[in-house]
Amino acid sequence: MKIKKALLKDTFKEIKKSYKRFISILLMALLGVGFFAGLRASSPDMVDSIDTYYKNQNVYDIEVMSTLGLTDNDIEALSNIENVENVYGTYSRDGLIKTNDKEIVSKILCVDDVNQPVLVEGNMPENIDECVVEKSFLEETGKKIGDSLEIEPEETDGEDTEYLKNKTLKIVGVVESPLYISRERGSTKLGTGVVNYYIYVNRENVNSDVYTEIYITLENSDKYQTGSHKYEEYVEETKDKIEEIKEERENARYQELIDEANAEIAKAEEEFNTEKQNGETQIQDAENKINEGKAQIESGEAEINSNERTANQQFENAEAQIEAAKLEVAQNALRFNNEKIEAEKGFEEAENQKADLQSTLDNINNAIKITDNSISEKQAQLETAETEEEIAAINQEIAKLQATKQVYETNKQSVETGMAEIDNQIASGRQELQTAEAQIDNARNQIQSQEASLQQTKNRTYTQIANARKELEASKQEIATAEAELETSRAEFNTKIQEAEGKLIDAREKVSEIEKAEWYILDRQQNTGYSSYIQDTESIENLSVVFPIVFFAIAALVSLTSMTRMVEEERQEIGTLKALGYNKFHIMLKYIIYSSLACIIGGVIGMNIGFQLLPRIIWDMYQMMYTLPEFIVSFNHQYSSMGLGLIYICIVGATLYTILKEVKETPATLLRPKAPKYGKRVLLERVGFIWKRLKFSHKVTVRNIFRYKKRFLMTIIGIMGCTSLILAGFGLKDSISSILPNQYEDICHYDMLVSLKTALTEEQRNSYIENLKQKEDIQEVVETYMESGTAGKGENSETVQIVVPSDNQEIDKVITLRDVKTEEPFTLSEEGIIITDKLAELIDAKVGDTIMVTTADDKEKEIKVVGITENYIIHYVYMSKALYQQVFGETYHTNVLLVQDNNLNEEQEETVMQEMVAQNEVLSITLTTTTMKTLDDTMSSLNYVVIVLIVSAGLLAFVVLYNLSNINIGERIRELATIKVLGFYDREVYDYVTRETIILTIIGILLGLVVGYFLNFYILGTCEINILRFEKVIHPISYLYATAITLVFSIIVNIVTYFALKKIDMIGSLKSVE
Amino acid sequence: MAYIEFKNVCKEYKMGEVIIKALNNTNFSIEKGELVVVVGPSGAGKTTALNILGGMDSVTSGDVMVDGKNVAKLKNKQLIKYRREDIGFVFQFYNLVQNLTAIENVELATQICKDSLSPDEVMEKVGLADRKKNFPSQLSGGEQQRVAIARAIAKNPKLLLCDEPTGALDYKTGKQILKLLQDTARKEKMTVIIITHNAAIAPMADKIIRFKNGTAESIESNQNPIPVENIEW
Repeated sequence: MKIKKALLKDTFKEIKKSYKRFISILLMALLGVGFFAGLRASSPDMVDSIDTYYKNQNVYDIEVMSTLGLTDNDIEALSNIENVENVYGTYSRDGLIKTNDKEIVSKILCVDDVNQPVLVEGNMPENIDECVVEKSFLEETGKKIGDSLEIEPEETDGEDTEYLKNKTLKIVGVVESPLYISRERGSTKLGTGVVNYYIYVNRENVNSDVYTEIYITLENSDKYQTGSHKYEEYVEETKDKIEEIKEERENARYQELIDEANAEIAKAEEEFNTEKQNGETQIQDAENKINEGKAQIESGEAEINSNERTANQQFENAEAQIEAAKLEVAQNALRFNNEKIEAEKGFEEAENQKADLQSTLDNINNAIKITDNSISEKQAQLETAETEEEIAAINQEIAKLQATKQVYETNKQSVETGMAEIDNQIASGRQELQTAEAQIDNARNQIQSQEASLQQTKNRTYTQIANARKELEASKQEIATAEAELETSRAEFNTKIQEAEGKLIDAREKVSEIEKAEWYILDRQQNTGYSSYIQDTESIENLSVVFPIVFFAIAALVSLTSMTRMVEEERQEIGTLKALGYNKFHIMLKYIIYSSLACIIGGVIGMNIGFQLLPRIIWDMYQMMYTLPEFIVSFNHQYSSMGLGLIYICIVGATLYTILKEVKETPATLLRPKAPKYGKRVLLERVGFIWKRLKFSHKVTVRNIFRYKKRFLMTIIGIMGCTSLILAGFGLKDSISSILPNQYEDICHYDMLVSLKTALTEEQRNSYIENLKQKEDIQEVVETYMESGTAGKGENSETVQIVVPSDNQEIDKVITLRDVKTEEPFTLSEEGIIITDKLAELIDAKVGDTIMVTTADDKEKEIKVVGITENYIIHYVYMSKALYQQVFGETYHTNVLLVQDNNLNEEQEETVMQEMVAQNEVLSITLTTTTMKTLDDTMSSLNYVVIVLIVSAGLLAFVVLYNLSNINIGERIRELATIKVLGFYDREVYDYVTRETIILTIIGILLGLVVGYFLNFYILGTCEINILRFEKVIHPISYLYATAITLVFSIIVNIVTYFALKKIDMIGSLKSVE
Repeated sequence: MAYIEFKNVCKEYKMGEVIIKALNNTNFSIEKGELVVVVGPSGAGKTTALNILGGMDSVTSGDVMVDGKNVAKLKNKQLIKYRREDIGFVFQFYNLVQNLTAIENVELATQICKDSLSPDEVMEKVGLADRKKNFPSQLSGGEQQRVAIARAIAKNPKLLLCDEPTGALDYKTGKQILKLLQDTARKEKMTVIIITHNAAIAPMADKIIRFKNGTAESIESNQNPIPVENIEW
């Protein structure tokens, strides 16, 4: 095989020489394989990601739920089934969480070994007062790890114990649940009817007798990939086996409940009886006590009365005594007064006597005085008298006078004694009088004090008696209340007993009413997030089939033309080799190696880029909708070899096709220059009137276009592919961006959706609505009842919003109900429901069909469809109030207000909303603008698709056009050199060549616009989201964009061509034999 | 001054490291209306000289005067204009555009010239009036070369340059072509330069330039050119 060495060398030299051709084939392989492998791998990568996720988190294979809850016995029974690996009983429940005046409905799950949530931040709840939440919950409520949340007490029926032991929970971490990978959390009877979030609590915190769910993992299920046929078959097989024990377990559970209930009833009966006994005894006791009290009161009363009587008697006696004493004193006083008067008279006499005596005394005193004077005179004479006689006479006389005086003195003394005696008598009389008076006074005082003390005693006694009476009165009152109480408690007792009896009867009835248990055996497909994820991977897979076809077709064409050219160029060499005795195989080997190398190198680079890039881009888009912890990009051997194989077949096949044709010929033929392609007249030439009018250069162009059919085809297909991809991209964008205006400008005219609290009374509601209507900023308020439910027909069912307006006409003001095509408006009636168009399409319902509508309370009813209305976002079932009441037999109440404001701007709306939310009646308010913004964000992620499409289209256009211009120049270099020699200016040479390209480009663009139109529909069809209806529109501007972008690409290539043409070496090109 | 004058023309090609001197100080002159035959062995520089004269190649040094214009100094665009208006080329391998009929090939040239001749008349002149609607592939070699000549002269050029016009033709046809060229030179008073390695046809020329090793070794005027039909080789 030494020959081969030389040939190999030749091959590599050839590659070096014609590197442009090599690269263009390589690029085609790169693009083809890259797109094929990348797109095809996206779906498996996504499946792989969820598979790994589910395996890591030990996600269930089968879920069993029962209407009556599940028990350890069920677990045991399930564990015995073949292939069942583990059976986990677990709990979940919906709960209301109140934060910032908002009510949030959350699924309360417990952390288990099955369906383990992924911890993103913080810790798992290790204590019963801890919980973990999802990230968006924190974003919505503004809470942080470490904050607490409060689960509202649930409305138990009295008998139920509360689900959670601990309702104030500390947030200790952020998790992602494998059970809820999409935003869909299901519906609930609580709040607005939609579950917003999930939280996980510690299992110990749950207070429940029965499991709400049983999750089963299967043995060896990790050998199968989730969603694969094998996996589903395997699960189905086990489900069938569970189906076999289903009835038995249902009955067992039913019996268990019946037994339990009966036992409880018996217990209750017993309790009832003892309670009754007790109650009766208690009443009896109370009665006895009352009677006793009554007797006591009576005796007390008698005692008091007798006491009073005695006291009265005594007081009377005492009073009489006092009266008597008084009388005596009065008599005494009278007597005394008489005596006093007499005594006074006596005193007066005495005084008179005394006065007489006084005058006597006075006379005496006078006489004394005169005597004294006479004495004094005699004494004076004595002094003067000188004789004794005279002295004696005078002495005599004096002695005489002295004797008289003595007599006087003695008189005086007796008078004075008499006077003193009188004074004494008076004084003693007075004394006596005074004593008597004092005595009388004394007696009087004594009586008085006696009287006073008597009064006191009297008072005291009477007060005592009064008090005793009062006390008695109080006891009487007490007895009366006791009696009344007794009466009421007796009545109460009676009603209670009656009630209890009633309950017992009810309970007995209920036991007979206990519904048979029903098991629901579900698998992952019933998990909304999971199933829509798997569906999405399927639509990506569908997409990934179409796109690469374009690339493969182009790749085949490009390599066909390139290799044909190459083989033609080397015709002589082939001839020479053949003449030298190389066999066909060896000659062909060069071309096969050449194209294989280009193909394999390009393919390998392409698949490596593709596997990394495309799945990630697609994943980025889907990440808006799904929460998965990790995206796994794997090198998919199946698709890489398949892609490489396909491109190999295309490129090397094309090479073989051309080379085989050539090597068949004899060396002699080969060595002769190949007869150039004959010029031919084209059909247009026969249409003389057009042909004659064409300029010469145009004629040339027309002829050239039809001369090179491969090139013609390649250009048109390439450009067509490019334009159609771009158009599809923009069309997709148009369809997506038309959703919001369609929904919120044409269909929904309300600006706010106000959810009212359920607990409101009719009055509260009405007054609130009235108030709202009065508001200046509010234009229209339409009352409706809304709940989420499902609507289905046959096997298909979708989550819907059931809307029941309180007035069939009013709803027109805020929601337009009209036929999609005719735009004829609908009015709600009792005849049936109006459903939205996408729902009708998904469940395959037509007007006149009967569909199954299920409410949040699981009431299932069949209702006739009377209209299919235009709608773009989520599904609605519109029903008249009368029909709702008639079908579901429920009383109607407004729970949602659709409010239209007076063209407020966003800020104003925000303010109005703040005001409204603060009111007690409001549960939550959703602004349409907010909804639109959120949706807009989600949808803008689809811009990636547009970018991917445009970039790929651009690459396609570039490769094709570049290749084309290379071939064009290479193949026609002689012709071009000739016209250059003839003196064509550069510009003319350029026109000569590119005029064809331009015409072909225009044809390609036109075809591309048509193909793009359909491609767009195809893409829309495959990537449509269930809850959205894409309007299949492409705006005129998009056609313009697609055209313009394609033209830009071709202009770039043309500029490159221009310079390539300029460089053509006339001499070199013309020297050789053609 | 002569109509065409090569003055000290040098032309060097760089082939990697080696510099090849294709023309080495070449000098010759041609008068208007002369039929010139250039002869010489392969690689002597005749084609290079012709290409330079035809405005298809540039000189390394020297001047090439054509009708008072220094072609060596022309810029690219002027060169194209020069080719377009003043030069008619005939190649060994005809170089017809395969996708155009005979007459269209002629039209290809005439449509870009101001004083072009009528394509039909030219076709008549070259004796192909009845084959003008045929594609090149439907014509014999001689006929194709006639079309090529028709295309060249239809431009009414000052110079008709022919590089081995008979190289791919048999003796008889070659003779007919040479006759056509000689007649054209005589009747149209056109300056015609024919390159050939066949020295036998030299007597038909007014002037014979012999090339050797990159220079015009001898320039010989022939006072009595012999009609082609009388020449045998």
